[in-house]
Amino acid sequence: MKIILNGAPVLLDAGRDDATVDVLRDGLGLTGAKAACRTGVCGACTVMVDGTPQASCLLPAAALEGRQVTTAEGLDHPVQRAFAVHDGMQCGYCTPGFVVEAAAFVDRWRGEHGDTAPPRERIAAALAGHLCRCGAYEGIYAAVAAACRGEHDAATGAPARVEAMDKVTGRARYTTDVRLDGQLEGVIIRSARAHARVVEVKVDGAHTVDLLPSDRVVRYAGQPVAAVAAPTRREALAIAEGARIVYDPIPAALDDAPGAPPVYDESSRRRAPSSSEGMNLPGGWNGNVKGPFTMASRRSRTARRRIEAARRRADPLLVTGTFTTAVQVHTPLEPHACVARWDDRGDLHLHLSTQTVGLAAGQAAKRWDLAADRVHVVADHVGGGFGAKVGITAETVAAVELARVCGAPVRVVLSRAEELTDAGNRPGTRTDIALLTDDRGDLAALAMDVRGRGGVAVGSAVAVLARLMYGTAPRLLRDSDVVTNEPPGTPFRGPGAPPMLWALEQAVDEAAHRLGEDPVALRRRWDGNRKRHALYDWVAGLPVWLDRPGTGSQTGRFRRGVGVAAANWAYMLDPATEVELEVRGDVVVARTTVQDIGTGTRTVIAEVLGEELGLPPERIRVEIGRTGTVHGPPSIGSRATTSVAPAARDAARRLRAQGLTDGRRVVGRRRGDRRGYVTPVAVAGMALGRGFSGAVHVTEVEVDTRLGVIRPLRVWAGIAVGHIYSERLARGQCEGGIVQGIGYALHEERHVDPVTGAVLTTNLEDYRIPGIGDSPEMVVHFHRDGWDHVNGGGVGVGEVSTIGVAASVGNAVHNATGWRPRDLPIRPDRLLEGIGG
Amino acid sequence: MTVLTDLGQAARHAGEFRAGGTDLMARRPAGPYVDLHGLPGLSGLTWRPDGSLRIGALTTVAELAGDVRLRAAHPGLALTAQALATPQIRAVATVGGNLLQRNRCWYYRNPAFSCHQNGGDSCPARAGLTLYSAVIETGPCVAPHPSSLAMALLACEASVEVHGRGPSPVGDLYGDGSDPARDHLLGPGEILVGIDLPPPVPGERAAYHRAIGRSEAEWPLVEAVARLIPDGDGIALAAVAVGGVARTPLRLPEVEEALLAGEPLDRAAARAAARCTPTAQNGYKVALLTGTVLEVLERAAGAAEGGS
Repeated sequence: MKIILNGAPVLLDAGRDDATVDVLRDGLGLTGAKAACRTGVCGACTVMVDGTPQASCLLPAAALEGRQVTTAEGLDHPVQRAFAVHDGMQCGYCTPGFVVEAAAFVDRWRGEHGDTAPPRERIAAALAGHLCRCGAYEGIYAAVAAACRGEHDAATGAPARVEAMDKVTGRARYTTDVRLDGQLEGVIIRSARAHARVVEVKVDGAHTVDLLPSDRVVRYAGQPVAAVAAPTRREALAIAEGARIVYDPIPAALDDAPGAPPVYDESSRRRAPSSSEGMNLPGGWNGNVKGPFTMASRRSRTARRRIEAARRRADPLLVTGTFTTAVQVHTPLEPHACVARWDDRGDLHLHLSTQTVGLAAGQAAKRWDLAADRVHVVADHVGGGFGAKVGITAETVAAVELARVCGAPVRVVLSRAEELTDAGNRPGTRTDIALLTDDRGDLAALAMDVRGRGGVAVGSAVAVLARLMYGTAPRLLRDSDVVTNEPPGTPFRGPGAPPMLWALEQAVDEAAHRLGEDPVALRRRWDGNRKRHALYDWVAGLPVWLDRPGTGSQTGRFRRGVGVAAANWAYMLDPATEVELEVRGDVVVARTTVQDIGTGTRTVIAEVLGEELGLPPERIRVEIGRTGTVHGPPSIGSRATTSVAPAARDAARRLRAQGLTDGRRVVGRRRGDRRGYVTPVAVAGMALGRGFSGAVHVTEVEVDTRLGVIRPLRVWAGIAVGHIYSERLARGQCEGGIVQGIGYALHEERHVDPVTGAVLTTNLEDYRIPGIGDSPEMVVHFHRDGWDHVNGGGVGVGEVSTIGVAASVGNAVHNATGWRPRDLPIRPDRLLEGIGG
Repeated sequence: MTVLTDLGQAARHAGEFRAGGTDLMARRPAGPYVDLHGLPGLSGLTWRPDGSLRIGALTTVAELAGDVRLRAAHPGLALTAQALATPQIRAVATVGGNLLQRNRCWYYRNPAFSCHQNGGDSCPARAGLTLYSAVIETGPCVAPHPSSLAMALLACEASVEVHGRGPSPVGDLYGDGSDPARDHLLGPGEILVGIDLPPPVPGERAAYHRAIGRSEAEWPLVEAVARLIPDGDGIALAAVAVGGVARTPLRLPEVEEALLAGEPLDRAAARAAARCTPTAQNGYKVALLTGTVLEVLERAAGAAEGGS
């Protein structure tokens, strides 16, 4: 079969039933198109066929015969430069598909309308077949509009991130794109049962590795049982499908009812994985319930006493309620992926899609009993993580073990169904809250009792985070886990905070409502944080806030509402971070064991070096995403930038002092903060710094009371994290945080079949993440004071920028309708039921 | 895979037919497939002298959505075609494939489950989650029918031609929804070759709405299309069809009759609720159904000639 591929004739020797994306990637080595969902939903595989963008995952190769195919690699279009300049990307995994579609749209638009910017909704309709999990939609809107205006026909404007051109041309290589000589494809065989002892696993015709725990018990449907490898993924899948697993069934707990069968017995409880980033909170077990954990104190007893008394006297200033949140899945567009290779010396080489190159290498060394310098990890580009890609996870174990038994490199890439089932999620929660205001209008007591539901995982730490908010009024905060035979929760961007704020920030709103006080003014009174005071003052002056409608005052079909929510978050860093610089000819090369998961770490380092050394971008090269150099931070807990940027600056100053002579090598350190840290010693490369970052979100929604739709129109984000290292990238992170918060508020919900425990939301149609049309207009305001004690003057923005968003949506819906949503997501059915009375 | 180039040979090839492949490639049933793109003469819109229209089964949804004459003649169909799926899918998916696609039930599509639709004898949704299930019960399967075009064609009084058979109303492709094993009633080897629409009705106004939670690219919770011809204060023609609520696309004669009898739009729309049989989880679809019907009635009634 002959096609014209990126302008040149190519003879294809493809199976005519193969999907075009596989022919391009595996057959022709063009890995720009990504097979991210394989159901035609996400658009990451989009290519042009005779000038028309098509989803290549659904396109039979047979349909290509005699046609012109253009991939991102072969595209040379102004919109690519526009994406680079306007930062229409973060991790970049969706970018090749977006630019192919956008190129066709821009050409069509300019042909019909000349060099004018299209309305936002026209851009949204054109790009409706694409999903960006990082939420870089604001930059994408800007890029497409600018390209339509003809602003990027010439190569003008600097790319916002150093690797931008690699991402818009499909050249950026992700782990899923790696293909080593002789590489096999591995597939994980997973449990079909929610709870069973595995008696036997029979697999024919392939090397098999065992992935069961030592007690041979599977505790959720989808749990890894074994892994197999074959020359092609199709063959490996066929072998996996033919595997016979003999189960000895055990009753499964698929709800949190008190009488549910036990998930663990006393001896197996210690196996429970953790959904928490830190240490698990202590707490005893009672059946499937672990905890509650509470810091009992005189103050907590005071809180309980005051709330009980208020309840008895039916105090109108006692706000109570039950708030729930659904399980949210990280689902980064690049799935978990690992290519493992053992070399002749017995060294282990991993290409890994990871947020933690260093941590993963350390865990691998420990697990496979290797010296630290015998494990080599590479993660050039990482297609998103959000907390799901930390340390060694199942695909890595499978790839490494398979590579060893097969004597060949093995690649394991999770399917979207696996990614949505067993690759991390934010646990669901149920929160009982009671918030008491005294007659002076001050916070008198707060009680939060949170039951986290993280499947087989424990470690819910939600209520405890309310300690960070609103001064020192007495509070009783209790966290417990209810384990079920469902896939384990894991840390997810701001672990614990979104559900805590969903309940607390709506209760505070209700308190303001009952006091007849402006919700921003009330928060300002209650909140002792000076940085957030500045944000409240900014919000209080916004026209949208001043002109907000009276709550419940509207009766028409479409009702507009404005809601506010505050948030704060811990400042964490990796104080052991170093950056190594080496002068190679004209170029300064920077290295550290960090990775860029789309947060812009590569660019931040380059910009700091450029400033300090006065060098143009072409004389600076940042080589990150691999081991073999100095210690660097994991990209978790909002700590990468605040750890690595000061170390880069320190290194640059040393180099400047010593002179930029060829071959010179210096190492810079992340010097300590003034007055040190809250944690006296660093644990696992982590220290808790002094001070809390702050955010205040204001969201304006339009509610369609007839059809149950909530449309976020505009969001204002006031963010207090001190110095901003790279304005555009930080803004992009905040915008992405808003988009993910809107997904959490309105759309995202993992569903599990209540009979079998099988996850039902196994594709990106049923698991609904926001598309570009769901992305509101956004304004991000940075308050930069208050972090002078921090080396570098600024802290992380990744988590504080998303955790309060859903609560602001809830308060906006209440303002619009007079009905307060309590359950996330606020689906159309819930809205219709709520406002219907 | 076989490439079929002669309609007469269809029955000789074993395997599932593939047109655009947007449904089949996502489901990936065990082959072999029989590719239909080699069939001549089944693509495009053909207007006959009397104004009636033949739509070849291999016509893409994008061709329907972008056809200027169709937009004027059968606005309800054109509006529906513009709103379904995404640009990349519409560029490839065919009208025939859209009518004969399999349903989107998350139990049917999940290999962990067996159900009526894939050889089993039960419906796991009934015991499990029915949040997105049909709210009008017609048989053991509760998966809503996925074809938006079928709904629009039902409202347009279209007929279909299956190779070797005479024309039949589009509704006959689906029957009454009582057979839980099938999304359409074509037999093995039978090929839909075209759709016929009657000549346009002067003065027609139409509207389509897809009730979804997000702004784009979602299978409808409920969808509706309305064709109206206002006549003074009354209505001379009313055709209303809905999707997302039953095993088959449905016309709503009770709503149409109420409109023709001069009932106000909201009262006419509310009549759609009468046949609903909600579960504990999908009761919202009743309100959403009447709301969506009212939406298209208001928009069609208020629209200039053509659509909104």
